[in-house]
Amino acid sequence: MIEFDNVSCTFVKGAGIVDASFNIDKGEFVCVIGPTGAGKTTLLRLIYMDVISEKGRVIVDKYDSSRIKRRQIPLLRRKVGMVFQEFNLLSDRNVFENVALPLRVIGVPKKEIKDRVNRVLDELEIDHRWNHLPSELSGGEQQIVSLARAVVKNPLVILADEPTGNLDPVASYKILTLLEKINENGTAILFATHSYNLVKDRGHRFMDVIDCKVRT
Amino acid sequence: MIDKFLYLISEGFRSLWRAKLAGFATVTAIGISTSFIGFGALIGQDISDLLQLARSQYRLEVFFSPLITDNEANQLVQKIAQIPGVRKSTLVTKQEAAEIFEEEFGENIFELLDENPLPSSCIVKLVTNGYEPLDVQPIIRKIEKIEHVDEVRHQGRLVSTIEKYYQGFFIIMTGVAIVVLLGTVILISNTIRLSIYARRDLIDILKLVGATNQFIRFPFVIEGIVEGMFGAILASAFIYGFVRATNYFLNLFTHYNIHWDFQIVAIMICVITTFSTLGSHRAVRRFLT
Repeated sequence: MIEFDNVSCTFVKGAGIVDASFNIDKGEFVCVIGPTGAGKTTLLRLIYMDVISEKGRVIVDKYDSSRIKRRQIPLLRRKVGMVFQEFNLLSDRNVFENVALPLRVIGVPKKEIKDRVNRVLDELEIDHRWNHLPSELSGGEQQIVSLARAVVKNPLVILADEPTGNLDPVASYKILTLLEKINENGTAILFATHSYNLVKDRGHRFMDVIDCKVRT
Repeated sequence: MIDKFLYLISEGFRSLWRAKLAGFATVTAIGISTSFIGFGALIGQDISDLLQLARSQYRLEVFFSPLITDNEANQLVQKIAQIPGVRKSTLVTKQEAAEIFEEEFGENIFELLDENPLPSSCIVKLVTNGYEPLDVQPIIRKIEKIEHVDEVRHQGRLVSTIEKYYQGFFIIMTGVAIVVLLGTVILISNTIRLSIYARRDLIDILKLVGATNQFIRFPFVIEGIVEGMFGAILASAFIYGFVRATNYFLNLFTHYNIHWDFQIVAIMICVITTFSTLGSHRAVRRFLT
């Protein structure tokens, strides 16, 4: 489903990815481990094609980075859910509206939006907060909303870039278990973190990123 | 699809509401500046109507030699009628001239002079479509060349003076309108640019969740169009006030009134809305890539 073929992407200011080759299959849970600045974020950005590799190619589903057209990138991103360390929620909209946003973009009918958002909020146990603004939620709750927004469009893969970076251990653990729950439904997860202790002994595949090199 | 469209429209209004202070300033600026165009257009329309009236009533008086008979005069009238640009020519016989003299001066010319020295003449009306300026000089020259024509009288100077001023007014108003409409484009464009900068978070998130450029741009375009439309409606209200106030003062001295022409105002609203659309497109194309 995701294929890296001799991918290199470097930046003038450092970091990036050099000569990475690996595959991620449907439904896999992969933990991307590495220190801050090692290139984890670049790896994820290459997948949602926020940056395009200068060498090699990244294939996500039917989209090939070496051939993709600019107008196709939004279509790719509809198949990829993203969660970041910053929650990236719209401060002037309540939880329901934040989660519904990707469905509005796709053009899902109003009634279906209501059903799907309510179902996801229920699954992630945040339904009781549906009409609250982000500022009225804790950090952990905001990250769950962010996760709900990523999962509501039924993506092939969720890219989680240090999603627990701003959370306390309890909230971090909850996010991790929610991601595992989502993964059980067949959605692949790429979980980038510098905190090895959080993900060790959970039976997931590991991928190390150290000094711009990826080891699988 | 309908849901998506309605959502984008509501996003446009939401964006407008969020930047209401800047939006209010823009709408007011557009309203004030474009009201001058509308008011100018109404005055121009009134002057144009007056000119059309003057052109349609324009006529030449051709006096023949006193030595020719009415029969010969009638032949000259037929000849004049054939000149291109002449719509109608009507004979005024010596007898009719005497009657006109009596009507105007109250004296019978036969009793005064024992004879009728008044020449026969003819009234010439010209072809006019009402919209184009009259060019009477070539026709006058042709009539003057006809044998036994003594004199051609016309009121051309007054009409040509009004036309000259009207043309000047028209050129100035066109220039003002172009400047104001370009100003509208820039004003809307800048307001939308501010709105885009203020909504960077929304734009970034929309890009992440897979929104196309059109989806992201549409609400900003709607915002610009609505601002332009509100500005034009405000301008219409200003113009209506101008017309009422001007007519009040005009009526103190004259019976003349500036006419409120809804068609002109409707055209103005459409034009301003179109230019606002251009302004918002300019902003999203330049600042939302």
